[in-house]
Amino acid sequence: MATETTIEKRETQTTQPERVRAGRTYIPSVDIIEQPDKLLLLADVPGARRDDLDISYEGGLLTIHAKVTPRQEPRSATCLLREYGVGDFYRSFEVGEGIDANKIEAELHDGVLTLHLPKAQALLPRKIAVKAS
Amino acid sequence: MANLIPWRRKREERELAWPELSLARMRRDMDTLFDRFMREPFGLPGFEPGLAGMPRMDLAETDENLTATLELPGIDPKDVEISVASGLLTVRGQKKHVREEKKADYHFCEREFGSFQRTVQLPSTVDPDKVDAAYKDGVLTITIGKHPEAKPRRIKVKNA
Repeated sequence: MATETTIEKRETQTTQPERVRAGRTYIPSVDIIEQPDKLLLLADVPGARRDDLDISYEGGLLTIHAKVTPRQEPRSATCLLREYGVGDFYRSFEVGEGIDANKIEAELHDGVLTLHLPKAQALLPRKIAVKAS
Repeated sequence: MANLIPWRRKREERELAWPELSLARMRRDMDTLFDRFMREPFGLPGFEPGLAGMPRMDLAETDENLTATLELPGIDPKDVEISVASGLLTVRGQKKHVREEKKADYHFCEREFGSFQRTVQLPSTVDPDKVDAAYKDGVLTITIGKHPEAKPRRIKVKNA
């Protein structure tokens, strides 16, 4: 019966508890460049530090999550101008299966995250030599 | 690679809290939107706009000093010029392309490059000789000290 199957499905689907953090999450600006042997991804994540970065690549999905400590101003400070907010950065991309997951490299320099995603060997164009018969 | 669909995320999708809503910001966002629309039909990758970008700034004041912070990821501190003159703080600089990015095949090009400038009026209590600037993790922090006479003094009430 229809109702029985739906109830069964819900039990098997275990959802991960959602982590609740105060503050907003922002979408970082990203540049993705294709080079012959790899994909280069550059993301603007000002205020993020190396230890607060969480990058994962699973099943063709690349996820970038940078935790940023919200601004801590002393109580005595008067705010004259506030044009930007400080918060976590989160973005995910469907990059496909053609990446060699073991060779992904990441660098964080001056608030810019650079990801080197080398293409899987099998997909690189190979020159085939023609043998003289 | 075929799964990578190049489409642009609009700037509006970036969430911003209500205290940051201002007419100046909206106007700037509209200008940027129109700029992108004009550029898009040509689809030139790595095209440097060379427009005067306006980085966002925060100003906070304490009894001791005035602190200005700007989010400027990916710049070289040598390319930034900070000056305080006639009660105005000016931050000027250039955001340059990283070497690998030139002549490259872009799927996404959201980060902005080129020159930027930001000028803001300072209260008269600041001392232009006490300016300190630091750049860390893509955030530029400028601290300007105040005149000693300008710091508030506590006056004790004596029991007459």
